[in-house]
Amino acid sequence: MNQISLNPRLRTDITFPKWNGLKSYAVGSALFSSTIIMLILGTLLIQSHPALFANDLNLLSEVWDPAGGQYGIIPMIFGTLIIMSIAMIIALPLGVLSAIYIAETRSDRLKHILKSSLEVLAGIPSIVYGLIGVAYLSIWVAEGFELQTGRVILTAGLLLALMILPTIMTLSEDAISSVPRAYRENAASLGLYHYEIIKDIVLPAAKADIAGAALLALGRALGETMAVMLVIGSLDRLPSPLFNVLASSQTITSKLGREIAESAFGSTHFSVLVLMSLILVAFTLILTIAAQKLFTKDPHNA
Amino acid sequence: MFSRPIKLTLGTWTLTAALTLLSACSSPSTISVSGSSTVLPVVSRAAQAYSDTTGQRIIVNSGGSGVGFNQLAESKSDIGMMSRDITDKEKAQYPDSQFTPVAIGIDAVIPVVSSEIYEAGVTALSLADIAAVYKGEVDNWSTFGGPDKEILVIDKEASRGTRHTFMKAVMGSSTAKAAGADLVLGANNEEQTAMAQSDAAIGMISLAWMNDDVRGLSIKDGASLIDPNLKTIADGNYPIARELIIVIRDDISSEAQKFVDYILSPEGQTFVETSGYIKINP
Repeated sequence: MNQISLNPRLRTDITFPKWNGLKSYAVGSALFSSTIIMLILGTLLIQSHPALFANDLNLLSEVWDPAGGQYGIIPMIFGTLIIMSIAMIIALPLGVLSAIYIAETRSDRLKHILKSSLEVLAGIPSIVYGLIGVAYLSIWVAEGFELQTGRVILTAGLLLALMILPTIMTLSEDAISSVPRAYRENAASLGLYHYEIIKDIVLPAAKADIAGAALLALGRALGETMAVMLVIGSLDRLPSPLFNVLASSQTITSKLGREIAESAFGSTHFSVLVLMSLILVAFTLILTIAAQKLFTKDPHNA
Repeated sequence: MFSRPIKLTLGTWTLTAALTLLSACSSPSTISVSGSSTVLPVVSRAAQAYSDTTGQRIIVNSGGSGVGFNQLAESKSDIGMMSRDITDKEKAQYPDSQFTPVAIGIDAVIPVVSSEIYEAGVTALSLADIAAVYKGEVDNWSTFGGPDKEILVIDKEASRGTRHTFMKAVMGSSTAKAAGADLVLGANNEEQTAMAQSDAAIGMISLAWMNDDVRGLSIKDGASLIDPNLKTIADGNYPIARELIIVIRDDISSEAQKFVDYILSPEGQTFVETSGYIKINP
């Protein structure tokens, strides 16, 4: 994932010291990580195989009932997508705008303080966010919208937005700060206003890195389990009407979190759950590839 | 930004290696127990007292009856805690192993409502009333003489023993679907929190988990009322009762067997009572 966030300026040739031990350690580590990815994909494929080729599972239905042999995964996929969208719609503009504010208008000292606190925020374990979600956020949502319960799609989306905001802010800030000073000075000497420099010079130059930040955040949003599980309501049903964000729902991760341990290894139930995680991995892969194609085609002309 | 992760990786490696070594050293003498959060209070109290006197290490984890059985069957634990019987489907998945359920106490599943509803006068419902709520046929407390509020119907994860017992008594089948459910939650404490946060909820909870915010309903049976208390459960009148079970494999270690014997001993049985349940050997 890091590759797409590499700005051409950062891609300087890394020269290894003439110590072969370190070099082979680096090569070994790289191979090791790629082997793990292959192993994970392979395992997911093998384990989800029975679900893919079994008949009568009604995978594309809306009914989830393992006791009755019904394994409809549509509600979970829908829940995942809608919660991810809410989180990104809220967090991306907020995060990028805050990053511009911090990077372009604050003194170095204040920037340092803000950045450090953001990095702490990004490192808080998700269960802590989940507990805050159960104790406060879901109550506020329930009171604000006069709902029976605050464990709904909107709460999960807001909580996720809160969780990925620091990632977007701190990485976008890195991206904006690393645009060379010479660019800004040239633009300023041509008579551009500060906001024009930001809009026409700095942001386009930092575009690929900001996209990388967004993608990393999206990855976290897709994979977040504990916090979402606690505030989503865990109802395997499509909301009605479909885009009613004040209804309880279920995501792929919350489903896995609640059920993977209780399904017997090798059973159909287990296999369908693995299939859902395969779909999740596929989402992430497609997003990564799409972002690579979109943002790194011609880095010199970005 | 790109130099820091390398140090981190090295640190993580060292930590992982150290942890692996640690866990490898401690595993043989440790008894691992997991499963139903209903049985958990009894076993963890007993485990505390047992390890204080014998020095035996015991790890007790929650997860639900289904998890308890699976971990036991896959040799990830020594003892499984269950608040329902092992299903035929579960047995069929592990044909090569023999499992022995041991009853250690008796519990009841209580239909509970938010304190606001209880204080507004809904203190008893018949099993048919409760079934209608879970089926989605009744969705307002005014039907039962309560306030004009929509009912927040709280269901439980399908593998939970509490749900099996409740659905069997109320709907007639332990795996009955609840079309009227608004929320699906897991352990008793999660349900207790949601019940306390709402002012119009109905749910199912194990006897030991009732409190001032989560009030148990009496069951209407014709003209008579059956209160949820230790007496009606012990004499078998309360209709939604079950045995608390721990399950063992036939290749159980001698340390784990000694702990099971301890739970069944008169001293061990006192923890069944302190946890709010009823002793199996009165």
